[in-house]
Amino acid sequence: MPTEAELRATLKEIGDLKAALDEHAIVAITDPQGRISYVNDKFCAISKYRRDELLGQDHRIINSGYHPKEFIRELWATIGRGRVWHGELKNRAKDGTFYWVDTTIVPFLNDDGRPRQYVAIRADITERKAAEETILRLNSELEQRVRERTAQLELTNRELEAFSYSVSHDLRAPLRAIDGFSQAVLEDFGPLLPEEGQRQLQTIRYSSQRMGALIDDLLTFARLNRQDLSKRPIDTARVVRETLAELGFPWADRQIEVRVGPLTPSLGDPVLIRQVWVNLISNAVKYTRRRAVAEIEIGETVVDGQLVYFIRDNGVGFDMRYAGKLFGVFQRLHRIEDYDGTGVGLATVQRIVQRHGGRVWAEAVVDQGATFSFHLGMETRHE
Amino acid sequence: MNEPSVVELLIVEDNPQDLELALRALRQAKLANFIQIARDGAEALDFLLCEGPFADRRLAAAPKVVLLDLKLPKVDGLEVLRRIKGNPRTATIPVVVVTSSKEQRDLVESYQLGVNSYIVKPVNFERFTAAVRDVGLYWLLLNQPPSATE
Repeated sequence: MPTEAELRATLKEIGDLKAALDEHAIVAITDPQGRISYVNDKFCAISKYRRDELLGQDHRIINSGYHPKEFIRELWATIGRGRVWHGELKNRAKDGTFYWVDTTIVPFLNDDGRPRQYVAIRADITERKAAEETILRLNSELEQRVRERTAQLELTNRELEAFSYSVSHDLRAPLRAIDGFSQAVLEDFGPLLPEEGQRQLQTIRYSSQRMGALIDDLLTFARLNRQDLSKRPIDTARVVRETLAELGFPWADRQIEVRVGPLTPSLGDPVLIRQVWVNLISNAVKYTRRRAVAEIEIGETVVDGQLVYFIRDNGVGFDMRYAGKLFGVFQRLHRIEDYDGTGVGLATVQRIVQRHGGRVWAEAVVDQGATFSFHLGMETRHE
Repeated sequence: MNEPSVVELLIVEDNPQDLELALRALRQAKLANFIQIARDGAEALDFLLCEGPFADRRLAAAPKVVLLDLKLPKVDGLEVLRRIKGNPRTATIPVVVVTSSKEQRDLVESYQLGVNSYIVKPVNFERFTAAVRDVGLYWLLLNQPPSATE
């Protein structure tokens, strides 16, 4: 048997623990039926009830009605079986306001294994729950905004699509009529027209055909932005070989020396990257037209750890002062009667390369040639 | 125009300038006989299915080819194509889409619907003439259709 002194010491220790617990936690005790038999000061403070309003009352006095029935049933089933329940509960204070408590309910059993009483220890988490709710609300607002913006973009895209569809159908028809009927006049009434009149009709035809080409190129360029990229490994050497063949290599009417160095495979949209090569190589062919022997060199190099493809020619080049204009849509650095074209080719190249996360640039000397270089944002493996 | 029973070529075209240029090209290629013109999709369907103003026509006397524009009043070209190819009585009639549009989705849908050929009208008149002539020569003279059934 412990001595009285020992009992006092134990009691004192328990009293100290209870005092410390009361400082920290909201504590209540109920009987097996859920009637409140004990509450500490913190319980009274948070529930805004006086102690005498709580003792003997059903614990449901502070229920908020927030939790679904199954949740409450599960709680009672757990402690009824003698197990500890832990969870977060929303309760209602006397004045109707709500508070959240992190709750542990510990059942204490009789010798026959049935619950004798339940001790509930709680901590106020109202502020944390409020913060959580704010985050949830902000998140859902953000998601809503993203959905709205996406819908807007999709609408704009559809409008753009309808616009370019209409342009491709409706704008070309009158041009065809202008060109066709000019030719009809030449065929049917040509002999009646003086030479100057015939020349003027040819100018009308030339202009309408040029506008047709501009419309086509502009539509192709506009489509670049809407098209999805499907990236796959690209056998660069093969693409260059095929592009050269497609462009007429070896040209019967021109003397062009083409040197192709080793080319590392890359990763990109095969259709679009092929377009880049077509545009750059056909430019090289075009702007070396005045050379007795044209030279075109295609190869690769490494700049700052990045694989860079280049294509060099000995053509007319351009003045580096205008290099900034080179890749703009409808920008041309040469007179149309010297070198034809719509001014969309290099803009297309730049747009494709940029969409791959890469960069294109050019260096040139007037009348000595130009070098176009591009990378596709790929780190090189061999260094 | 000619007696409906001997129509070889049905042109479905709403744009009068395109129509005139197409007929001019066909005339130059000596292919301008036996042509029927429909100015919208509904008229084209009436003609092919022998309905409405064409109720007296014999269905067996199908044209050798239909030149079909896509942008048409009332019933658009793709719908006309869908109805021709979806109807067992007209499904074997060759249809060539002749349109301004290079739009990929038009091309894809036309082929999915069973178009026999798809031509983009060039702005350049010589190329336009050549395209119409080649299409006419091929489908009217070279191509061998199955014998008509009713």
